[in-house]
Amino acid sequence: MTSSAAEPAGLPAARRRTFLALFTALAIVVHTFETLLPTPLPWLRLGLANALALVVLFLYGPGAAWSLTLSRIVLGALLLGRLFTPGFWLALAGGCLATLVMTGLHRFGRGRFGPVGISVAGAVSHACGQTLAAWALLVRHDALWRVLPLFLLFAIATGLLTGWVAALLLERLKRHPALADT
Amino acid sequence: MTSLWACMTGADRLLTLALTLFALAGAGWLLSAPPGERILVDDGVQIVYQGGFDRVAELSFHGPMGTSRLAIAADGVRVIEAPCPQKLCMGMGPARRSGDLIACLPNRLLVRIVGAQPAEAVHDLISR
Repeated sequence: MTSSAAEPAGLPAARRRTFLALFTALAIVVHTFETLLPTPLPWLRLGLANALALVVLFLYGPGAAWSLTLSRIVLGALLLGRLFTPGFWLALAGGCLATLVMTGLHRFGRGRFGPVGISVAGAVSHACGQTLAAWALLVRHDALWRVLPLFLLFAIATGLLTGWVAALLLERLKRHPALADT
Repeated sequence: MTSLWACMTGADRLLTLALTLFALAGAGWLLSAPPGERILVDDGVQIVYQGGFDRVAELSFHGPMGTSRLAIAADGVRVIEAPCPQKLCMGMGPARRSGDLIACLPNRLLVRIVGAQPAEAVHDLISR
Protein backbone atom coordinates (compact mmCIF):
# COMPACT_ATOMS: atom_id res chain seq x y z
CA MET A 1 0.00 0.00 0.00
CA THR A 2 1.40 3.39 -1.01
CA SER A 3 0.32 6.94 -0.45
CA SER A 4 1.41 10.12 -2.12
CA ALA A 5 1.29 13.81 -1.44
CA ALA A 6 -1.31 14.06 -4.22
CA GLU A 7 -3.88 12.17 -2.15
CA PRO A 8 -3.33 13.21 1.47
CA ALA A 9 -6.99 12.62 2.27
CA GLY A 10 -6.56 8.89 1.63
CA LEU A 11 -3.78 8.48 4.16
CA PRO A 12 -5.86 8.54 7.39
CA ALA A 13 -8.32 6.01 5.90
CA ALA A 14 -5.50 3.70 4.80
CA ARG A 15 -3.84 4.05 8.20
CA ARG A 16 -7.13 3.29 9.94
CA ARG A 17 -7.68 0.14 7.83
CA THR A 18 -4.13 -1.03 8.48
CA PHE A 19 -4.30 -0.51 12.24
CA LEU A 20 -7.76 -2.09 12.42
CA ALA A 21 -6.41 -5.18 10.61
CA LEU A 22 -3.47 -5.30 13.04
CA PHE A 23 -5.73 -4.98 16.10
CA THR A 24 -8.03 -7.70 14.71
CA ALA A 25 -5.11 -10.06 14.09
CA LEU A 26 -3.82 -9.37 17.59
CA ALA A 27 -7.27 -9.99 19.09
CA ILE A 28 -7.48 -13.39 17.32
CA VAL A 29 -4.00 -14.34 18.59
CA VAL A 30 -4.84 -13.29 22.19
CA HIS A 31 -8.20 -15.09 22.03
CA THR A 32 -6.63 -18.31 20.69
CA PHE A 33 -3.73 -18.19 23.16
CA GLU A 34 -6.07 -17.57 26.08
CA THR A 35 -8.27 -20.52 25.10
CA LEU A 36 -5.24 -22.80 25.21
CA LEU A 37 -4.11 -21.59 28.66
CA PRO A 38 -5.07 -23.67 31.71
CA THR A 39 -7.31 -21.83 34.18
CA PRO A 40 -8.20 -22.54 37.84
CA LEU A 41 -11.82 -23.07 36.83
CA PRO A 42 -12.50 -24.48 33.35
CA TRP A 43 -15.17 -21.91 32.51
CA LEU A 44 -13.22 -18.91 33.78
CA ARG A 45 -11.64 -16.88 30.95
CA LEU A 46 -10.30 -13.37 31.24
CA GLY A 47 -11.49 -12.29 27.79
CA LEU A 48 -8.40 -10.13 27.24
CA ALA A 49 -9.17 -9.93 23.51
CA ASN A 50 -12.06 -7.67 24.50
CA ALA A 51 -9.48 -5.08 25.59
CA LEU A 52 -8.60 -4.71 21.90
CA ALA A 53 -12.29 -4.29 20.98
CA LEU A 54 -12.43 -1.48 23.55
CA VAL A 55 -9.29 0.11 22.14
CA VAL A 56 -10.71 0.22 18.59
CA LEU A 57 -14.06 1.43 19.95
CA PHE A 58 -12.37 4.43 21.52
CA LEU A 59 -9.98 5.00 18.59
CA TYR A 60 -12.19 4.31 15.58
CA GLY A 61 -15.80 4.05 16.78
CA PRO A 62 -18.60 1.45 16.95
CA GLY A 63 -18.23 0.10 13.38
CA ALA A 64 -14.63 -0.86 14.03
CA ALA A 65 -15.55 -2.56 17.34
CA TRP A 66 -18.24 -4.64 15.57
CA SER A 67 -15.82 -5.56 12.79
CA LEU A 68 -13.11 -6.68 15.24
CA THR A 69 -15.46 -8.65 17.50
CA LEU A 70 -17.23 -10.54 14.70
CA SER A 71 -13.93 -11.30 12.93
CA ARG A 72 -12.39 -12.53 16.18
CA ILE A 73 -15.30 -14.84 17.00
CA VAL A 74 -15.59 -16.34 13.50
CA LEU A 75 -11.86 -16.63 12.70
CA GLY A 76 -10.99 -17.70 16.26
CA ALA A 77 -13.59 -20.50 16.09
CA LEU A 78 -12.29 -21.50 12.65
CA LEU A 79 -8.72 -21.74 13.98
CA LEU A 80 -9.76 -23.76 17.03
CA GLY A 81 -12.09 -26.06 15.05
CA ARG A 82 -15.19 -24.81 16.87
CA LEU A 83 -17.07 -23.13 14.03
CA PHE A 84 -20.86 -23.72 14.29
CA THR A 85 -20.48 -25.81 17.48
CA PRO A 86 -22.70 -24.91 20.48
CA GLY A 87 -19.75 -23.00 21.97
CA PHE A 88 -19.51 -20.88 18.82
CA TRP A 89 -23.17 -19.82 19.04
CA LEU A 90 -22.78 -18.99 22.73
CA ALA A 91 -19.68 -16.90 21.98
CA LEU A 92 -21.47 -15.17 19.09
CA ALA A 93 -24.52 -14.33 21.21
CA GLY A 94 -22.35 -13.10 24.10
CA GLY A 95 -20.09 -11.10 21.78
CA CYS A 96 -23.00 -9.46 19.93
CA LEU A 97 -24.83 -8.43 23.11
CA ALA A 98 -21.60 -7.17 24.70
CA THR A 99 -20.70 -5.13 21.61
CA LEU A 100 -24.23 -3.74 21.39
CA VAL A 101 -24.10 -2.55 25.01
CA MET A 102 -20.52 -1.24 24.76
CA THR A 103 -21.13 0.73 21.55
CA GLY A 104 -24.44 2.02 22.95
CA LEU A 105 -22.80 3.26 26.17
CA HIS A 106 -19.96 4.80 24.18
CA ARG A 107 -22.30 6.61 21.80
CA PHE A 108 -25.10 7.65 24.15
CA GLY A 109 -23.18 7.90 27.43
CA ARG A 110 -22.06 11.45 26.49
CA GLY A 111 -18.48 10.70 27.45
CA ARG A 112 -19.36 9.86 31.05
CA PHE A 113 -18.18 6.26 30.75
CA GLY A 114 -14.51 5.35 30.31
CA PRO A 115 -13.00 2.07 29.05
CA VAL A 116 -13.33 0.41 32.48
CA GLY A 117 -17.06 1.09 32.93
CA ILE A 118 -17.82 0.12 29.35
CA SER A 119 -15.74 -3.03 29.76
CA VAL A 120 -17.62 -4.06 32.93
CA ALA A 121 -20.98 -3.46 31.20
CA GLY A 122 -19.73 -5.44 28.19
CA ALA A 123 -18.54 -8.37 30.31
CA VAL A 124 -21.87 -8.52 32.18
CA SER A 125 -23.77 -8.35 28.88
CA HIS A 126 -21.56 -11.12 27.50
CA ALA A 127 -22.49 -13.39 30.43
CA CYS A 128 -26.20 -12.53 29.99
CA GLY A 129 -26.02 -13.13 26.22
CA GLN A 130 -24.37 -16.50 26.66
CA THR A 131 -26.91 -17.60 29.26
CA LEU A 132 -29.78 -16.39 27.07
CA ALA A 133 -28.40 -18.27 24.04
CA ALA A 134 -27.87 -21.41 26.14
CA TRP A 135 -31.47 -21.19 27.35
CA ALA A 136 -32.89 -20.50 23.87
CA LEU A 137 -30.79 -22.93 21.84
CA LEU A 138 -29.62 -25.72 24.11
CA VAL A 139 -31.41 -26.24 27.40
CA ARG A 140 -34.73 -24.45 27.61
CA HIS A 141 -35.04 -24.67 31.35
CA ASP A 142 -35.53 -21.77 33.76
CA ALA A 143 -33.15 -23.36 36.26
CA LEU A 144 -30.33 -22.29 33.95
CA TRP A 145 -30.77 -18.68 35.11
CA ARG A 146 -29.73 -19.69 38.61
CA VAL A 147 -26.08 -19.84 37.58
CA LEU A 148 -26.22 -16.25 36.31
CA PRO A 149 -25.27 -14.43 39.58
CA LEU A 150 -22.04 -16.43 39.79
CA PHE A 151 -21.26 -15.70 36.13
CA LEU A 152 -21.98 -12.01 36.72
CA LEU A 153 -19.53 -11.79 39.64
CA PHE A 154 -16.75 -13.32 37.53
CA ALA A 155 -17.75 -11.11 34.59
CA ILE A 156 -17.44 -7.94 36.72
CA ALA A 157 -13.96 -8.97 37.92
CA THR A 158 -12.74 -9.84 34.41
CA GLY A 159 -14.42 -6.72 32.99
CA LEU A 160 -12.51 -4.53 35.45
CA LEU A 161 -9.23 -6.18 34.48
CA THR A 162 -9.74 -6.00 30.70
CA GLY A 163 -11.03 -2.43 30.99
CA TRP A 164 -7.92 -1.46 32.94
CA VAL A 165 -5.69 -3.08 30.28
CA ALA A 166 -7.62 -1.19 27.56
CA ALA A 167 -7.28 2.13 29.44
CA LEU A 168 -3.52 1.66 29.82
CA LEU A 169 -3.19 0.68 26.15
CA LEU A 170 -5.20 3.71 25.04
CA GLU A 171 -3.08 5.97 27.25
CA ARG A 172 0.05 4.77 25.47
CA LEU A 173 -1.39 4.50 21.96
CA LYS A 174 -2.80 8.02 21.96
CA ARG A 175 0.73 9.35 22.53
CA HIS A 176 1.96 7.50 19.42
CA PRO A 177 2.36 9.81 16.38
CA ALA A 178 0.44 7.43 14.08
CA LEU A 179 -2.62 7.46 16.35
CA ALA A 180 -2.41 10.91 17.92
CA ASP A 181 -4.80 12.41 15.34
CA THR A 182 -7.56 9.76 15.77
CA MET B 1 1.38 2.90 35.76
CA THR B 2 -2.04 4.45 36.33
CA SER B 3 -4.06 2.60 38.97
CA LEU B 4 -7.38 0.97 38.17
CA TRP B 5 -9.22 3.44 40.40
CA ALA B 6 -7.64 6.41 38.59
CA CYS B 7 -8.68 4.94 35.22
CA MET B 8 -12.35 4.93 36.25
CA THR B 9 -14.76 7.82 35.84
CA GLY B 10 -17.50 8.54 38.39
CA ALA B 11 -20.06 6.87 36.12
CA ASP B 12 -17.78 3.81 35.77
CA ARG B 13 -17.62 3.46 39.57
CA LEU B 14 -21.36 3.84 40.01
CA LEU B 15 -22.10 1.32 37.26
CA THR B 16 -19.62 -1.21 38.66
CA LEU B 17 -21.01 -0.80 42.18
CA ALA B 18 -24.62 -1.23 41.00
CA LEU B 19 -23.82 -4.35 38.97
CA THR B 20 -21.77 -5.84 41.83
CA LEU B 21 -24.58 -5.29 44.34
CA PHE B 22 -27.06 -6.85 41.91
CA ALA B 23 -24.84 -9.93 41.37
CA LEU B 24 -24.11 -10.25 45.13
CA ALA B 25 -27.81 -10.07 45.93
CA GLY B 26 -28.46 -12.87 43.43
CA ALA B 27 -25.57 -14.97 44.78
CA GLY B 28 -26.76 -14.40 48.38
CA TRP B 29 -30.25 -15.51 47.45
CA LEU B 30 -28.80 -18.71 45.94
CA LEU B 31 -26.52 -19.44 48.92
CA SER B 32 -29.39 -19.02 51.37
CA ALA B 33 -31.23 -21.95 49.78
CA PRO B 34 -31.69 -24.99 52.07
CA PRO B 35 -29.97 -28.32 51.29
CA GLY B 36 -31.73 -30.17 48.49
CA GLU B 37 -33.22 -33.62 48.79
CA ARG B 38 -33.56 -34.90 45.26
CA ILE B 39 -31.42 -34.96 42.14
CA LEU B 40 -33.11 -34.55 38.76
CA VAL B 41 -31.15 -35.22 35.57
CA ASP B 42 -32.68 -33.74 32.44
CA ASP B 43 -31.50 -34.33 28.84
CA GLY B 44 -33.19 -31.19 27.53
CA VAL B 45 -36.32 -33.14 26.58
CA GLN B 46 -37.29 -35.15 29.64
CA ILE B 47 -36.12 -36.19 33.10
CA VAL B 48 -33.90 -39.24 32.65
CA TYR B 49 -33.01 -39.84 36.31
CA GLN B 50 -34.23 -38.84 39.73
CA GLY B 51 -32.97 -39.93 43.10
CA GLY B 52 -31.74 -38.83 46.50
CA PHE B 53 -28.41 -38.31 48.22
CA ASP B 54 -28.85 -41.38 50.40
CA ARG B 55 -26.64 -43.62 48.27
CA VAL B 56 -23.15 -43.23 46.84
CA ALA B 57 -23.25 -43.96 43.12
CA GLU B 58 -21.68 -43.24 39.77
CA LEU B 59 -24.05 -42.87 36.83
CA SER B 60 -23.48 -42.60 33.07
CA PHE B 61 -25.63 -40.57 30.69
CA HIS B 62 -25.38 -40.54 26.90
CA GLY B 63 -25.76 -37.26 25.01
CA PRO B 64 -25.02 -35.93 21.52
CA MET B 65 -21.27 -35.65 22.26
CA GLY B 66 -20.79 -38.89 24.18
CA THR B 67 -21.02 -40.13 27.75
CA SER B 68 -21.08 -37.90 30.82
CA ARG B 69 -20.52 -39.49 34.25
CA LEU B 70 -21.96 -38.20 37.50
CA ALA B 71 -20.82 -39.07 41.02
CA ILE B 72 -23.40 -38.88 43.81
CA ALA B 73 -22.30 -38.68 47.43
CA ALA B 74 -23.66 -37.25 50.67
CA ASP B 75 -21.84 -33.92 50.06
CA GLY B 76 -23.39 -33.45 46.63
CA VAL B 77 -23.44 -34.49 43.01
CA ARG B 78 -20.70 -33.62 40.55
CA VAL B 79 -19.77 -34.34 36.95
CA ILE B 80 -16.59 -36.44 36.99
CA GLU B 81 -16.27 -37.08 33.27
CA ALA B 82 -17.58 -35.11 30.30
CA PRO B 83 -17.02 -35.34 26.54
CA CYS B 84 -17.36 -31.58 25.94
CA PRO B 85 -14.17 -29.65 25.03
CA GLN B 86 -14.24 -27.04 27.80
CA LYS B 87 -15.36 -29.24 30.73
CA LEU B 88 -17.34 -26.36 32.19
CA CYS B 89 -19.73 -28.75 33.90
CA MET B 90 -16.86 -30.42 35.78
CA GLY B 91 -15.99 -27.07 37.31
CA MET B 92 -19.55 -26.40 38.47
CA GLY B 93 -19.93 -29.08 41.09
CA PRO B 94 -20.57 -30.31 43.68
CA ALA B 95 -24.21 -29.29 43.81
CA ARG B 96 -26.10 -29.90 47.05
CA ARG B 97 -28.40 -26.95 47.81
CA SER B 98 -31.96 -26.77 46.63
CA GLY B 99 -31.95 -24.94 43.30
CA ASP B 100 -28.31 -25.75 42.49
CA LEU B 101 -27.68 -26.55 38.88
CA ILE B 102 -24.96 -28.22 36.84
CA ALA B 103 -25.33 -27.79 33.09
CA CYS B 104 -23.33 -29.52 30.37
CA LEU B 105 -24.76 -27.63 27.41
CA PRO B 106 -22.83 -29.31 24.56
CA ASN B 107 -23.90 -32.74 25.80
CA ARG B 108 -27.42 -31.52 26.71
CA LEU B 109 -27.26 -32.60 30.33
CA LEU B 110 -28.89 -30.64 33.13
CA VAL B 111 -28.54 -31.73 36.75
CA ARG B 112 -30.90 -29.98 39.17
CA ILE B 113 -31.21 -30.23 42.91
CA VAL B 114 -34.69 -29.76 44.30
CA GLY B 115 -36.23 -29.78 47.76
CA ALA B 116 -38.61 -32.33 49.18
CA GLN B 117 -41.63 -33.26 47.12
CA PRO B 118 -44.63 -31.07 47.89
CA ALA B 119 -46.97 -32.71 50.41
CA GLU B 120 -49.81 -33.02 47.91
CA ALA B 121 -47.61 -34.89 45.47
CA VAL B 122 -47.49 -37.99 47.71
CA HIS B 123 -51.22 -38.55 47.21
CA ASP B 124 -52.45 -40.31 44.09
CA LEU B 125 -55.97 -39.03 44.56
CA ILE B 126 -57.90 -36.83 46.96
CA SER B 127 -61.66 -37.25 47.02
CA ARG B 128 -64.26 -35.23 48.93
